[in-house]
Amino acid sequence: MAPAHDSRPHVEETVEVAVPVRTAYNQWTQFKTFPRFSTVVHDVEQVRPTVTVWTLGYGPMRHRFAVEIVEQDPDTCLIWRGLDQHPSHQGEVQFRPTRSGGTAVTVRIRLEPRGVAKLLLGSSKGAQVVARPVRRELLSFKDYIEGVGQEGGAWRGTIRNGRVQHDHPEPPRSRVARWPVG
Amino acid sequence: MQNPSGQEPEDTLSVTPPKKWAAGVPAVVHALEYSLEQTSPRRTGVDLLTMNQVGGIDCPGCAWADPKPGNRHRNEYCENGAKHINDEATTRRITADFFREHSVSELAARSDMWLNQQGRLTEPMIKRPGSDHYEPIAWQDALGVLAGELTSLDSPDEAVFYTSGRASNEAAFVLQLFARAFGTNNLPDCSNMCHESSGFALSETLGTGKGTVSLDDLHHAELIFLVGQNPGSNHPRQLSALEEAKRNGARIVAVNPLPEAGLRRFKNPQKPRGVVGRGTQIADRFLHIKPGGDLALFQALNLLLLEAEDARPGTVLDHDFIDAHTSGFDEFVEHARSVDWDEVRTATGLTREEIEKVRDEVLRSERVVVCWAMGITQHKHGVPTIREIVNFLLLRGNLGRAGTGACPVRGHSNVQGDRTMGIWEQMPDAFLDALQKEFGFDPPRPHGLDSVNSIKAMREGRVKVFLALAGNFVRAAPDSEVTEEAMRSCRLTAHISTKLNRSHTVCGDTALILPTLGRTERDVQADGEQFVTVENSMSEVHTSQGRLEPASRLLLSEVAILCRLARRTLDGKADIPWDRFEADYGTIRDRIARIVPGFHDFNARVTRPGGFQLPNPVNEGVFDTASGKAMFSCNERVVPRAPEGHLLLQTLRSHDQWNTVPYTLNDRYRGIHGSRHVVMVNSADLSRLGLAQGDHVDLVSVAADGTERRAADFSIVSYPTAPGSAAAYYPETNVLVPLDSVADISNQPASKGIVVRLEPSGA
Repeated sequence: MAPAHDSRPHVEETVEVAVPVRTAYNQWTQFKTFPRFSTVVHDVEQVRPTVTVWTLGYGPMRHRFAVEIVEQDPDTCLIWRGLDQHPSHQGEVQFRPTRSGGTAVTVRIRLEPRGVAKLLLGSSKGAQVVARPVRRELLSFKDYIEGVGQEGGAWRGTIRNGRVQHDHPEPPRSRVARWPVG
Repeated sequence: MQNPSGQEPEDTLSVTPPKKWAAGVPAVVHALEYSLEQTSPRRTGVDLLTMNQVGGIDCPGCAWADPKPGNRHRNEYCENGAKHINDEATTRRITADFFREHSVSELAARSDMWLNQQGRLTEPMIKRPGSDHYEPIAWQDALGVLAGELTSLDSPDEAVFYTSGRASNEAAFVLQLFARAFGTNNLPDCSNMCHESSGFALSETLGTGKGTVSLDDLHHAELIFLVGQNPGSNHPRQLSALEEAKRNGARIVAVNPLPEAGLRRFKNPQKPRGVVGRGTQIADRFLHIKPGGDLALFQALNLLLLEAEDARPGTVLDHDFIDAHTSGFDEFVEHARSVDWDEVRTATGLTREEIEKVRDEVLRSERVVVCWAMGITQHKHGVPTIREIVNFLLLRGNLGRAGTGACPVRGHSNVQGDRTMGIWEQMPDAFLDALQKEFGFDPPRPHGLDSVNSIKAMREGRVKVFLALAGNFVRAAPDSEVTEEAMRSCRLTAHISTKLNRSHTVCGDTALILPTLGRTERDVQADGEQFVTVENSMSEVHTSQGRLEPASRLLLSEVAILCRLARRTLDGKADIPWDRFEADYGTIRDRIARIVPGFHDFNARVTRPGGFQLPNPVNEGVFDTASGKAMFSCNERVVPRAPEGHLLLQTLRSHDQWNTVPYTLNDRYRGIHGSRHVVMVNSADLSRLGLAQGDHVDLVSVAADGTERRAADFSIVSYPTAPGSAAAYYPETNVLVPLDSVADISNQPASKGIVVRLEPSGA
């Protein structure tokens, strides 16, 4: 959550989904599937575990930006930041079990707008402009994962300070050539 | 020794001030001018509009990565790429009449430029023992001669199979498979001569021989170092990535002995500000370093970072990363503190203040990428220099995070892929075991010969047959006269080539020219039209497919030539379906998928738009090194010195040149026109040496073996090279590089930092 003294606009939205935390989390890690349920995400390219490039669209407009995942804990949270400077943002999604066996999914986004965007989004009303689509997207995610019932894949790695923590039982070294390239 | 390359008369040398920016409208004009000189507007259009596009041709010009599909320009190429592709698509043809008219010895007296300008090779040719002319030969007979010579050798190790970076993954895989089934690991390649030092240094310290960055990392870096490279001429599309990085707020530090135009400013001809505006400033800070001073520079920078940490503990170094993911830190720190600033000044020519300003840039930046090229790798201490760059990156955790990493910028388009496919004389047992399991033969285990050792073996009569898959080995290799003597001592030399070059004219008793399809051409085999695949400098594997009709109906593809040769030579040895491989390259890719790590589902994944990216262990938290962690290293200090009256020479390419092939006698960005026989020296050194612009001198290299190597009759050009240094064009000055002058550890020819003196010509 944004600290009280942080004047940057931020939004926070939570929805409860009727699937276990592991299912909700696993599905969330399948970034390339976001266009299946989202109305604004047109494409997600996974450059590597910590870097994704998102293409959002509203009508004929398209906005492409790169995102770095700086922290990721399986079944708990992901924290990311936009790599582009104009505009930049930081975000976080948390997964918490509910008493009913479902999952509370909370998304927090902190914006760092500049120029005209700062004027438009700098107020609490402005932040609502962002909050509405965030909530809409969360509800779409809920509909999707509850509808399909189980995740379509999973990435269970851990990321700390923007780096993948190597704790898999089978290291990726077996998947790449080990000899020098001249 | 004299420069062995004969020359046509050159134009009159004229010199204009060096350009202060690269590309812009003149780049478009020059590219089109050259393209239309070579081929028709229609063919030019087909080539250019499919170049570096999904489903199109991968530009053979360099190994720079393409933007993702959907983000590519309609014209996704550079001036040099356009020239190169249309140089291959030329409508000029070399036929049997040409070889009747020109003897081999006459051709050997021609320049590289003249030979290239004669056009595409169209039919197989043979020079028989004792003859001075090539004559036509049927494919079956040509391959029979070659197979016969190979099978008559006393040992498979008497043959060498060289690969140039133009070769596709499929051709490279087939070549190494053939060589190993034949019984040798003698697989030298052009990597031996360009980035071998990078491969060795990165493998040792990071556990991967490849760079760790993608285009997205460059776009989002806060600070980018360009060290020992000239992107404006050698990888111009890198400038677009640097422009985007600058737009995102990055700062750039360029480190080079020459203030190249492309390091200063880039006018992107695809953007209005590049056409009518001032373009984008590239380097925010330029370090005019002496050749070979880069090791001392990074050692000094690393010391300054340690001292900054001493002053403000916990704020400079990434201790979490160092503690968890690296080894050797304490030893490194102890060694790093022994830096001597007087030595640094002598080695780099830079003041402490200049280096401190760079330190400040580093301290302000959370994400740092270091790019380098042959200005680093071709020094005797290239491997330690790259290891020191890795030390620099490790100190602040600039590896494995977005916007950070090590970026060796490779030249030839599939030089990285050829290595991945097993073109290396020292392949590990795991790869050889996989070959054995897949094909049921016992691959040879002893290491083979690299480029330098192949030349030595040929010269000593230990190698009798030399087969080259593309390239111009004679001109790419060092010590030209020694290399030529080695080639001439072979019983047979054979080249799979698209165009004529000096390697066809400096040949063995028997010589074969095996003409092949170019990248631009349709490749139709028994199972239909084929595509090939390549891997770029950022480990992205994708397809390449030409659209033009072949230059001759008699051309065979590289894969077809190698498969037919393998059938003839091996005669059923090993369970390898060479005919299926030739008919359908997909069957080769199926085998690659089972043998080469990272290529699972190769056929399916490579046909997706943009192909796929091979994983990089560093970016997945794995350092597959001896310690299991990223390794700090302690590198001995090196101060390159030239004795009084001498200079440190670096060989380099002109702007109008691709590898060993000059397209014109001009070097537009450096303001040198009409001649390539020039040596660039700064004005202070000229005064000190009592020389002046326009003087004619011989370049004489001073080597440990006591042999005098001389490049005769070069004109002096006063040029802002770093004090104490000079520069002259490759391959004309390869004659000055002793074969034994190699980079420590990597055995890469040391074509930079050559100690030379300038003697008045005819003295």
